[in-house]
Amino acid sequence: MKQNHKNPHKAPEGYFDSFNERLMDKIVKEESIIPKNDGFSVPDLYFETFNDKITNRTTSKVVRLHSYRKYYYAAASIAAITLLAFFLSQNNETEFGFEDLATAEIDAYFETNGLGLSSYELAEVVDFEAISVLDITQEENDIEEELILDYLDENVDELEYLNLEYEKFE
Amino acid sequence: MIVEETLVSELKNTQTQAKAFEVLVNTYKERLYWHVRRIVLNHDDADDVLQNTFIKVYRSIDGFKGESKLYSWLYRIATNEALTFLKQKSRKLGVTSEELQTKLVANLEADVYFEGEEIQLKLQEALATLPEKQKLVFNMKYYQEMKYEEISDVLETSVGGLKASYHLAVKKIETYLRGD
Repeated sequence: MKQNHKNPHKAPEGYFDSFNERLMDKIVKEESIIPKNDGFSVPDLYFETFNDKITNRTTSKVVRLHSYRKYYYAAASIAAITLLAFFLSQNNETEFGFEDLATAEIDAYFETNGLGLSSYELAEVVDFEAISVLDITQEENDIEEELILDYLDENVDELEYLNLEYEKFE
Repeated sequence: MIVEETLVSELKNTQTQAKAFEVLVNTYKERLYWHVRRIVLNHDDADDVLQNTFIKVYRSIDGFKGESKLYSWLYRIATNEALTFLKQKSRKLGVTSEELQTKLVANLEADVYFEGEEIQLKLQEALATLPEKQKLVFNMKYYQEMKYEEISDVLETSVGGLKASYHLAVKKIETYLRGD
């Protein structure tokens, strides 16, 4: 379409980029039974007087208790010496290493705890960027995406960190 | 419309700091208030958390490197403050975070600054059953009308993940409200 170069009207930056999203949101809201207003209100003039509270707190002087400071140092030194003495005496005892663990104990540990790898530890080994959860589901078209999403929701703590292909959930 | 870079540099300069901080508070106080209020539910708690958020911003502005946008940094501080506040509250009361959520919703009935009717109360009950992240995403999208890109900047999660979370949240809330 031919552009009118003399058009004096301007749309805000990014207006058209986000237009579809805003339109979809509006449609969802119109059709939803979720109320458009969630009922919260604020006291009269709350926002008008809010700045004063902040100004009072940022300008109030902090009174330092200088006279007590030397006692704090003395107390801290004594505590540090006591702790040092304690740890030095502990170190004289024999240290235990991995080899001291009986194989049976190690087996028992994995028996009760499974492999026990956290999602973070797994992420260290598996390159999640390279594969999307929905790459797998696309091959199994008979599995309802909605069901998978429900399953993930119930079983994965941090759903947002999965590499989900978002167009599916528009 | 304020230019972020200018405001940040004015905030770091002791000569212009006071004025720039006022601009910052004026620009973001309402938005951040509603964000915090929907997490802590009670007005007085929201007021405390909002004040603490701005005080924290004031004290740590020198450490703001500008790697993220100013608004997302502010939202992040506000979110952390609000969630920490709730954790402390549940510890103080000796209840789990789920029990605290139920208690907070129950308190809304007597709250003078909650003008909701039955449907709004039911909405809060539904929200209380959602995982923390889904609740945040839902409120930021549905009530604060933030764009996914903005929410993604604040919560540091992918837009795809957020869309999935929002979709799930809407579905669960609608199911709850229908009483299925």
